[in-house]
Amino acid sequence: MAKIIKGPTTRELMSQLASESEGLSTNDRRDFLRKGIAAVGGVAAASVAGTATASDALLNSNNLPPNEPTWGKQLGHGVIEYPYGNPSKFESDVVRRTVPWLTAESISSISMTPLHELKGIITPNGLVFERYHGGVPTINPEEHRLIIHGLVERPLIFTMEDLMRFPSESHIKFLECPANGGMEWRGAQMEALQFTHGMLSCCEWTGVPLRVLLEEAGVKPEGKWVLAEGADGAHMSRSIPIEKCLDDALIVYAQNGEMLRPEQGYPVRLLNPGWEGNTSIKWLRRLEVGDKPWHHREETSKYTDLMADGRARRFTFVQETNSVITSPCPEKPILSPGMIEIEGLAWSGRGKIKQVDVSFDGGVSWTPANLKGLVLEKALTRFSLVTKWDGQPWLLQARAIDETGYVQPTLKQLREVRGVESIYHKNAIHTWKVANTGEVTNVQLS
Amino acid sequence: MFNSLKPTLVAAAVAGSLVAGSVNAGESFGFGRTATAEEIAGWDIDVRPDGLGLPVGEGSVEDGEGLYEAKCAVCHGLFGEGEGRWPVLVGGQGTLDQDRPTKTVGSYWPFASTLYDYIYRAMPFTAPRSLTPNETYAISAYILYMNEIVEDDFVLTNENLGDIKMPNEENFFVDPRPDVKNTRCMSDCKDPDSIMITGTIGGVTPVSHFVEGADGPAASHEEQHALEQAKEKERLKALGVEVEEESHSAKPAELSAAAKEGKATYEGACAACHGMGIAGAPKLGDQAAWEARIAQGMDVLVDHAINGYQGDNGIMPAKGGRMDLSDEAVANAVAYMAESSQ
Repeated sequence: MAKIIKGPTTRELMSQLASESEGLSTNDRRDFLRKGIAAVGGVAAASVAGTATASDALLNSNNLPPNEPTWGKQLGHGVIEYPYGNPSKFESDVVRRTVPWLTAESISSISMTPLHELKGIITPNGLVFERYHGGVPTINPEEHRLIIHGLVERPLIFTMEDLMRFPSESHIKFLECPANGGMEWRGAQMEALQFTHGMLSCCEWTGVPLRVLLEEAGVKPEGKWVLAEGADGAHMSRSIPIEKCLDDALIVYAQNGEMLRPEQGYPVRLLNPGWEGNTSIKWLRRLEVGDKPWHHREETSKYTDLMADGRARRFTFVQETNSVITSPCPEKPILSPGMIEIEGLAWSGRGKIKQVDVSFDGGVSWTPANLKGLVLEKALTRFSLVTKWDGQPWLLQARAIDETGYVQPTLKQLREVRGVESIYHKNAIHTWKVANTGEVTNVQLS
Repeated sequence: MFNSLKPTLVAAAVAGSLVAGSVNAGESFGFGRTATAEEIAGWDIDVRPDGLGLPVGEGSVEDGEGLYEAKCAVCHGLFGEGEGRWPVLVGGQGTLDQDRPTKTVGSYWPFASTLYDYIYRAMPFTAPRSLTPNETYAISAYILYMNEIVEDDFVLTNENLGDIKMPNEENFFVDPRPDVKNTRCMSDCKDPDSIMITGTIGGVTPVSHFVEGADGPAASHEEQHALEQAKEKERLKALGVEVEEESHSAKPAELSAAAKEGKATYEGACAACHGMGIAGAPKLGDQAAWEARIAQGMDVLVDHAINGYQGDNGIMPAKGGRMDLSDEAVANAVAYMAESSQ
């Protein structure tokens, strides 16, 4: 039967509290249940989850000062208990999520990164958004090969060992699906930041520049395009202009200090910094140099942008300047009036972020925010603005400007040029409505 | 950085005789080796609009019909109309500039070569790279025929594929972005009274992880499918239609050795349809759906799975399209599904 999602009844909550209290000492248990009963009223009255009332009451006061908490009165586990460590069990909510009705099933589908939970600009490997067209292949790296052929002087075949002998480079770059936000061309419908902007991640990628491999093979003068192809069941393929291949395209075998995750193309992938994620072919097995593009399925039927007049744009590679406020957001409401740090992420496929402005009144007036931490080309850039919230409603927006001078557009401006059916490349200024309760919802302004 | 380092590194390597003798110029690292023509040929499957890359071969609309029905219709529908959320292949002409356009091979795809290329590299979904070139020509021909691009007696070949003109070819153009120009206004940028706020419609996204009591779609494809099936059953019941109820055993299945063997095959080959019960496939764990099937005897079930079967609600392609699987592997996967659904 279908799982019907509803709030817990008092009885369910009590039974949950009882089961969670198992394993506690008699005194702890009594205290836990007593606090739990107090919580039931709080939960029933609260409209937004995770309110201070409910969660505070669920705490075991025996672990709070002035008492010595249980973990201070016993020993923890030793080394190598977890040879590869995991996040704390209390962080189990920080996971990728999907919107199932977007795709037919989970094998050719997408999941989103929990941007509201991330700190800094790096996405942990286990949280990088997923996009598969034929599921994740299990590839033995010793049996994986990369072939470069076509219009080259010498066709080459590489083992992973060969590729990793080349001098390596590491670069922090964002990776974004061009459909990020694409469900909202017609109107707001995603009720969480994870779903409005979560097809976005940023890692330190390590590998060898594609330029170096192409130099090894010797590209013939008539070679103008490169077909990149994956080894997965979908054999994903995209045509990449030679200029990008000789510029900053990277043959990547590691992310954030360790070998690529299977989800990200283990053992080797292409990375086209700043370009739509779909071009960064995962599980890369073949690069063919040709004189023309191939017009394959992922650059004709999909990943082309249909305009209102029925014509369509092709080879829309660049991810243009974009930004979003990550705190507050629907998942992270404002907890109480007072000082608040507005935080968010900005990024541009054309270079560095130069400036981010924040508006509290739906774009009537704007205040410059500060960029904090690393400001890198084609990487997520974190911005911050410390201000005060007195419980007044806000129409909160961020607007990014990159080093080329491009100013992030409004949705109205994009719609005027492109209509509402282009699916991809919606980089419009995003609006969060902050209610006087601190609750945050996704809205659009016209 | 890299360029300035390279000559030094190579010089050191050569001087120290650390690289085996294949380095023929100071500029080359010499890692990897020359790929043989045979190695390249096995992987060089791509096809271009001008026909470059097509293998010698041919396939008729007539041959394509049977192949399409056996291998493609389970997801794309008998008439290319698309089952569930699987891609629609046929129709949609004249809708591209309308509200809710339908992008199909006939209405949208600019080149016929893409059809051959994609089918050969990735289809059928559950059994990629299982089709021969001739089968691929035939299925491509049939899809072109369904879209009224070729006649029913057409035979698609490596010679004529590049000559086919797709109706929408001229309507693609190269990316003109940046196409909008915003300015960095700081104050009085618009009239506050002109702002209209449009909110989200609740219940569209799975938000139960942060909204208590949220009534929305499920968080996984399996749960969402079950939710939609339940809604459909409610709708049918309201119309007075008798519907089969799904039922599940409370106790975990005790699996035979064969069934345990079959689990991996199920996950890699069968779960795409049987995991959620799409296209009429009996769903793993659904006792009601499996009961009558199991009653026919396991020999019949295994025979249908290996050789294919046309049921009232859908098609079971032979081996689910995975002709690389042994009969034994399929039989074990059937045992796994049947034993998990009792």
